[in-house]
Amino acid sequence: MEKISVKVCLGTTCFVMGSANLQELIDIVPQKYGDKVDVSGVPCLGLCATDWEFSKAPYVKVDNDIIKEATVEKVISAIDAKLAK
Amino acid sequence: MFIDIDCNQVKKYNQNAFGDYFVSKRYPDEAKLIAVLSDGLGSGIKANILSCMTATMLLKFIEKQEIPIRHAAEIVMNSLPVCQVRKISYSTFSIIDVNDDGYAKIIEEGNPEFLWIRNGEVLEPPFETIPSKTFKNRCLKSYKIKLELGDRLIFCSDGVTQCGLGNGRLKLGLRREGLINLVLSKLQEEPEISSSDLSAYIIRQTKNIETDRLPKDDISACVLYFREPRTSLVFTGPPFNQKKDPEYAKIFQDFTGKKAICGGTTANLISRELNLPITMDKEISIGKLPSCSYMDGVDLVTEGILTLTEALEYLDSGKLDIDNAAGKLIKFLLDSDCINFMVGAKLNQAHYNPALPVEIEIRKNIIKKMAIVLQDKYFKKVSVQYM
Repeated sequence: MEKISVKVCLGTTCFVMGSANLQELIDIVPQKYGDKVDVSGVPCLGLCATDWEFSKAPYVKVDNDIIKEATVEKVISAIDAKLAK
Repeated sequence: MFIDIDCNQVKKYNQNAFGDYFVSKRYPDEAKLIAVLSDGLGSGIKANILSCMTATMLLKFIEKQEIPIRHAAEIVMNSLPVCQVRKISYSTFSIIDVNDDGYAKIIEEGNPEFLWIRNGEVLEPPFETIPSKTFKNRCLKSYKIKLELGDRLIFCSDGVTQCGLGNGRLKLGLRREGLINLVLSKLQEEPEISSSDLSAYIIRQTKNIETDRLPKDDISACVLYFREPRTSLVFTGPPFNQKKDPEYAKIFQDFTGKKAICGGTTANLISRELNLPITMDKEISIGKLPSCSYMDGVDLVTEGILTLTEALEYLDSGKLDIDNAAGKLIKFLLDSDCINFMVGAKLNQAHYNPALPVEIEIRKNIIKKMAIVLQDKYFKKVSVQYM
């Protein structure tokens, strides 16, 4: 099975809108899922610039799915859903 | 040539103000630099006011180029009052006006003669003496010299040459010969030493020579070092016209000095155009800033506005030893002599969302302020290009 990739946007908008706290995923996810999931920060996903009018930062990408207004819980449940498939 | 300049000072013991005053300014448009070191009579507040007035007035006179440096120095020499107690003039000064090609005009009044060091030897340039029309005991020494790559000039107040005066070992103080020995042996040990380190070394050594390490006078040492500039480029913000991305990426790629990127979108742009993958630091960001990323051939990759804002704050306050992305950016900037900023003018509307919890400044404004601080406080040569 291919690894699930989780990318946390650490661009300016996402960072101040909460992705600073999402960094705990970098600790939590490997503990919970071992090497099935790969988490990393990315400099910017470029989503706030396209979705700015109703900015839903912070953004996290789980494989190709975008999670808007991401929280640790939302990301974990997205990973769980992927693994359940 | 780049002129690396710095001055270090210590106060006379038991005083709470510096009696010597140093001021220096770069003029990037004219590719020149003017610096003045003045020593006020006595010590403490009185000396501080005298030297500060002398130095700043001389700088103001010369920078406007309304009067030639020699004339400005004459006016100040002839108008400085005489101290009622000591019957000598209220302050002494050294002025240097030097351009990037190495042509320097130097004028001294009352301060110890400067040192000109080339290849480990002290040169003795000829000078013209200009006596004061109003005071018999005052005269200017005027030099016109041509500096070469690797040359150093050292200016100091008499606190340096007279340190240790009267103590057992140096009855007449360190004097010029002592200073020469001190500097030449240090240069032999560290030929590439920066002006900042060399002036700090001179101050440390002179303080050590003083009895009980208590300076009996204000001590200042100003060092100029003519060397190849260390250049750097900071690319921040995506260009206004997206069609020009490849063009700017090419400029970035072709730059030969050190390179930094400040901004996630900018990093993505360079990564896309130059086909360089980005990897992010796995470390959790320290404090309130996102951590750095890595890209081959780029010395530093950070987030944009937040990091720049914090770096500006640190540069302003002089708090430079910080362990986060802004600290790394500061180190990058301060390790360079000529800093070029490429600033993309494209705005990200999302930054102006009132829901954002912190004040996010416009990039152009931060860079404008940063350029001023780097120029005025850290004596860097800065150029800013908006795209």
